[in-house]
Amino acid sequence: MACAADVVYQYDGSFEGFLSCVFESFLRKEIPFALYPDRAVRPTLFPVRVIPTNPARAARVFDSFEKKLGTRTRDLVTRAFLNDSPDKELILLRFLHFAYGQGPRAPWMQGHERVAPVLELEKAVNGEAHLLTGFVRFEQRGGALGAVIQPRHFVLPLLRRHFCNRYPGEDFVIWDKNHQAVLAVRQGRAEYLELAANPDLPPPDPEEARFQAMWQSFYDALAIPARLNPTLRRTHCPKRYWACMTELRDQL
Amino acid sequence: MAISQNGRAAWRDGKPPAAQFICGSGRGPAAFAPLSGAERTGVFMDLMEKLTILADSAKYDVACTSSGVDRGGAPGALGSCHAPGICHTFTADGRCLSLLKVLMTNICAYDCRYCINRRSEDRPRAAFTPEELAELTIQFYRRNYIEGLFLSSAVLVSPDYTMERMIRVLELLRGPHRFRGYIHAKTIPGADPALVRRIGLLADRLSVNIELPSEASLQLLAPDKQRAGILRPMGLIARTAAENRRELAVYRHAPAFAPAGQSTQMIVGASPESDYQILQLTEGLYQKYSLKRVFFSAYIPVCQDERLPALDTKPPLLREHRLYQADWLLRYYQFSAGEILSPEAPNFDPWLDPKCNWALHHLDQFPVDVERCSYEMLLRVPGIGPKSARRIRTARRHGRLGLEDLRRIGVVLRRARYFILCRGYAGPGRLSRVTVARALLDPGLFEAGVQQLSLFDDPAGRLTGPDSPALPAAAAGEEAAAWLAQRM
Ligand code: SF4
Repeated sequence: MACAADVVYQYDGSFEGFLSCVFESFLRKEIPFALYPDRAVRPTLFPVRVIPTNPARAARVFDSFEKKLGTRTRDLVTRAFLNDSPDKELILLRFLHFAYGQGPRAPWMQGHERVAPVLELEKAVNGEAHLLTGFVRFEQRGGALGAVIQPRHFVLPLLRRHFCNRYPGEDFVIWDKNHQAVLAVRQGRAEYLELAANPDLPPPDPEEARFQAMWQSFYDALAIPARLNPTLRRTHCPKRYWACMTELRDQL
Repeated sequence: MAISQNGRAAWRDGKPPAAQFICGSGRGPAAFAPLSGAERTGVFMDLMEKLTILADSAKYDVACTSSGVDRGGAPGALGSCHAPGICHTFTADGRCLSLLKVLMTNICAYDCRYCINRRSEDRPRAAFTPEELAELTIQFYRRNYIEGLFLSSAVLVSPDYTMERMIRVLELLRGPHRFRGYIHAKTIPGADPALVRRIGLLADRLSVNIELPSEASLQLLAPDKQRAGILRPMGLIARTAAENRRELAVYRHAPAFAPAGQSTQMIVGASPESDYQILQLTEGLYQKYSLKRVFFSAYIPVCQDERLPALDTKPPLLREHRLYQADWLLRYYQFSAGEILSPEAPNFDPWLDPKCNWALHHLDQFPVDVERCSYEMLLRVPGIGPKSARRIRTARRHGRLGLEDLRRIGVVLRRARYFILCRGYAGPGRLSRVTVARALLDPGLFEAGVQQLSLFDDPAGRLTGPDSPALPAAAAGEEAAAWLAQRM
């Protein structure tokens, strides 16, 4: 049984880094007070232990997910980690300590206090990724398609799968402005880039404005004045997405 | 708009402008030959203008879902489909916009009273060429504005001619453009069955609008349409789809016929049918024609006509909302129409959603033990939806469930606690029906989001006077409670 320890883990924010923390936590049979990625270190009263990312340890932990906890748990943890909430690491770590006691049935104990919060994390990530599969707006720029998004969670990996499948013949770039990351797909090969500064995108193609204008007037024409319901629209399509949506950004 | 005025003038007497335009059965390449005056003006109009006119004409069609089929991408092609459907944006009225929803043309030979496109209405007219529309679909799709195309049309010249043109668009998309996105096509009542088969092999979903909930209303309001003319293609689609499924079971690569099934739509509030009649019809349609969806569209007066509600009538949005709730009960909660409404109580309760209403009238069947009761019964508990019911079913195999667990699972305890037992909770005790009813009042009615409903429509006539603003939520809640107490 692991016990609560008055210590804060600090790691590099990567999934491997987090798995190294998991290793550390099991090794010492302790659950730290908090786990912070480097970029979000907060002043704390507790001593900070910096956990270096150790690929070998990370791999051991990851392999044991599938072997001891089942594929559902492996996928659940991987997916939930994309969530951007500040306490996701602790929620995941507490769940893992519980799961190694329960085995593969852990993720199915959906009402349990250690399990439900992880499912919440996963649901938020899936939910946002699903919304964005619809809300992403590409512009034709210099022969390729380019889009900007500002998601709460790190959903690029999920969008990659969707759009690579959908546009097999297109080169495209999705720039996640909130996480300063870019997904670039050229001739079917995808790569992620982390950015220090905003990328230089080529200017939109000349015909781009025409299609945007047509889309805008299509969108406007479809609203039925007798049913106007701005609140309902905001419920389904929260304002934080509007800045990147062609038809809505002028209404902000 | 001078151009379309011309176009309309040619149609004033309700006859197609040029007789040579009706080419035999309307099939074959001849159908795409010379354009009529009306059409020519429509065709050479700026694409932007056409799009605006033809989207505006299509906007009262409610079905805009892209659900029901999973299809991955393929090398060299464009597009994919995702079975749950994807909403790409939401219009100012809060409806999901998933497909490029347009009419092929709004030049119509018919004169349905409730429709803005009827031939006697004075409005701008336009027509897409198949090439234009296919290209527009592709360009919108590449930019991820849409999941695909929802193509419908007014009756240009004849049902067959219209269908031919629609099929041409679909052929261009599926052929040269190698488009694998979603296509929903509306078949035109009265079209040749062979055309229905052809379009079904290109589209993912087909629909035939039943338009109005009864034969009598249809006769009165859509004199050019016949019920049989609507139900026949529906039956044809259902049969062809069933045959196709058998075929697919044998030959895996047989072309799929409307793999996302068929749907229909009816207008609510233009004619006098009760909610019970509408729901019975809906259930019948699901059973008889294996429809995937039935859509309801609150009637919005667009034309002055003594047979229709007056122009200043508000659309019955709350009624539409309740119909959709009841429709969910039919599709996902294993209810039958007869359980939800009856000839004695033929209309929905304005304050209670249909499931709560049912529970209130069957208090003798509650409380149920969530750790033991059947899945079917779980579904009947107010505050438990299909998702939480499924979660409960899994979770209770792995451990016991108390109120806290249920809350974390997603059960709305505020409602459910009057109907359940679980670990450490022995049920609500004896309560009067009014107390329970009060707790079940549809919260949506008093929240900003749906308050719009009460603004526009209140079957009880209690929330608002015709022009007065909505009551403050608290006062409205009191009113509602009083009304319920009276009814119980
Ligand atoms: S056939 Fe009737 S409902 Fe359809 S467009 Fe013409 S007038 Fe409108």
